Amino acid sequence: MKTKTDSQQLICVDIGSTYTKGALFALKDGKLELLDRQLSPTTVEHLPDGFYSVAKKLVPSQDWKRPDYDHDELPVFFSSSAKGGLKMAVVGLVPDMSLHIGRLAAFSAGAKVYFSYPYKLARKHIREIESADLDILLLCGGTDGGNEFYVQANAEKLAASSFSGTIIYAGNSTVDEEIEEILEDKKLVITENVMPEFGELNIEPVRTAIREIFLEQIVAGRGLKELVNKFDSRPLPTPLAVYNLAKAIGENVPGWDSFGMLDIGGATTDFYSFCESFDPDSSDSMLKGVAEPKLKRTVEGDLGMRVTAVSSFEIGREELVNSETLSEDEALAMHEYTEKVAADTSYLPDLPEEKAFDFHLGGICARHAVTRHAGTMKQAYTANGRVWVQTGKDLRKINKIIGTGGYLASLGRENKALAVPQYEDKSDAISLVPTDYLYYADTQYILPLVGNLAEKYPKQSAKLAIELLNQIKIKD
Amino acid sequence: MSKPMTVVLGVIGSDCHSVGNTILNVFFTEQGFKVVNLGVMVSQEEYIAAAIETGAEAILVSSLYGHGEIDCAGLREKCIEQGLDDIILYVGGNLVVGKTDYSLVEEKFKKMGYNRVFSPEFPLEDMAELLRQDIRKRRQERENKD
Repeated sequence: MKTKTDSQQLICVDIGSTYTKGALFALKDGKLELLDRQLSPTTVEHLPDGFYSVAKKLVPSQDWKRPDYDHDELPVFFSSSAKGGLKMAVVGLVPDMSLHIGRLAAFSAGAKVYFSYPYKLARKHIREIESADLDILLLCGGTDGGNEFYVQANAEKLAASSFSGTIIYAGNSTVDEEIEEILEDKKLVITENVMPEFGELNIEPVRTAIREIFLEQIVAGRGLKELVNKFDSRPLPTPLAVYNLAKAIGENVPGWDSFGMLDIGGATTDFYSFCESFDPDSSDSMLKGVAEPKLKRTVEGDLGMRVTAVSSFEIGREELVNSETLSEDEALAMHEYTEKVAADTSYLPDLPEEKAFDFHLGGICARHAVTRHAGTMKQAYTANGRVWVQTGKDLRKINKIIGTGGYLASLGRENKALAVPQYEDKSDAISLVPTDYLYYADTQYILPLVGNLAEKYPKQSAKLAIELLNQIKIKD
Repeated sequence: MSKPMTVVLGVIGSDCHSVGNTILNVFFTEQGFKVVNLGVMVSQEEYIAAAIETGAEAILVSSLYGHGEIDCAGLREKCIEQGLDDIILYVGGNLVVGKTDYSLVEEKFKKMGYNRVFSPEFPLEDMAELLRQDIRKRRQERENKD
């Protein structure tokens, strides 16, 4: 029998696409502490090898290969984003309504959304779905008792396709049985509608379904079943660990009730916001469309530091030149640089101008990921005076932003902050982005590992995460 | 039990008169309709998005501040573009500024593709009855097509 001591050690491992990272924590007197951090290359052909290599570095005295591992003595938590993470497509009806909510549900479950299709699926969409090796397709559309035509038409097309991943149906529940019949030959999970009433958000059932599918099917497909059984541990998609941590921080740490978290990776840029999406007390503004959740995650598949460097630069080029941040010649040189790093994704800049290019690239990723995440506000004149019409989420209350991911961690180690660049905006809509905030860098790139503990130890992990961040002054 | 009749309701344009909207919402709900109420300051796109997702059979447009003509033009065309070809469009309220002969107003809005045009004095009970008839007729026409 195990005797209860006041100090417990815990191991967290995150299996990334390139590196498998691990950390050893101690839970003592209700407080979490970071003891050690290690990494090894990810072993793509057999993921557990990299896992064991990290575990051994963290606790050499442990016999990691023994079959009767005592998970009470040294509990293991782990997450994975190896082999492309959790790959999804979302098929909805109206872009700003059911499709938008479906995407929010997928993002908040830690997925990357490769394709989003509104209305009726075209043949070319089916071909894209078939050739993309997706894990999950979320099919939604129609309120309960509402439109039943599109979801059935799309289900018919999917039934006739060679798509072999899991389909989650979370649309108009009136036709649940019809959908079940149409998709009887597919792996199908039916959950509650993401939008049961018009404009009403219901994303938890889909999140739960995605989590279950990840555990039951995707984890096994990635060769992680061995670790699940041995350590009696339920792995998370890495972004879900970060999402859980953001929730824990926002709900438990004083002064952190309105914050953002920016994760700029090689291929994608993620933004998490934790704040009220709309101020209902405001007398001169009104909200249109979907009321977005307090914790929201979005992923931009065309913004990143390496794999997507070329597309990122194209997105931000005009702003950099127009604001005279770059001259035309410098822009050309930066274009060449982005082509170089996209071809050699592990490239680390050497020269000062290359470092500057990376900094601008990071700025583009930050600006556009945050702008796309944020809502907008427009003025309207009525007989009763001026009103502001808001759509999407208002991020202006955010007063702290955390920078994480490989690039922002290394920038943070040089004591540099990446502020979200602002340029003059000529459109008539105001972008509701954060404007006045303190910046904190995850210099040790530890948040995904701490996030592994966020479900079980929300208060302790949130507190530790904040302790491990470094506040860096933003230069004007 | 037959399928409930779903209707989308809202005040169009930069119009923020909410009292009438609230009354209509309560009234049509009591009359047995499933009302998707979008409130005030509703854009054409919002009516259409709501009608598609909820499978609504009619859109009830209110306009009270006199700019109805500008706000309401083009809604039928947008509906057709989005596949809502035969959706029933009603419009009512103070549709134009000043005292204009009501039959002229009606003609103008019917030309824009609205099935029925209502003055502020029109009895609500009668409107609900017309709406039920129109929806039944549309269902019948759809069945005949299949």
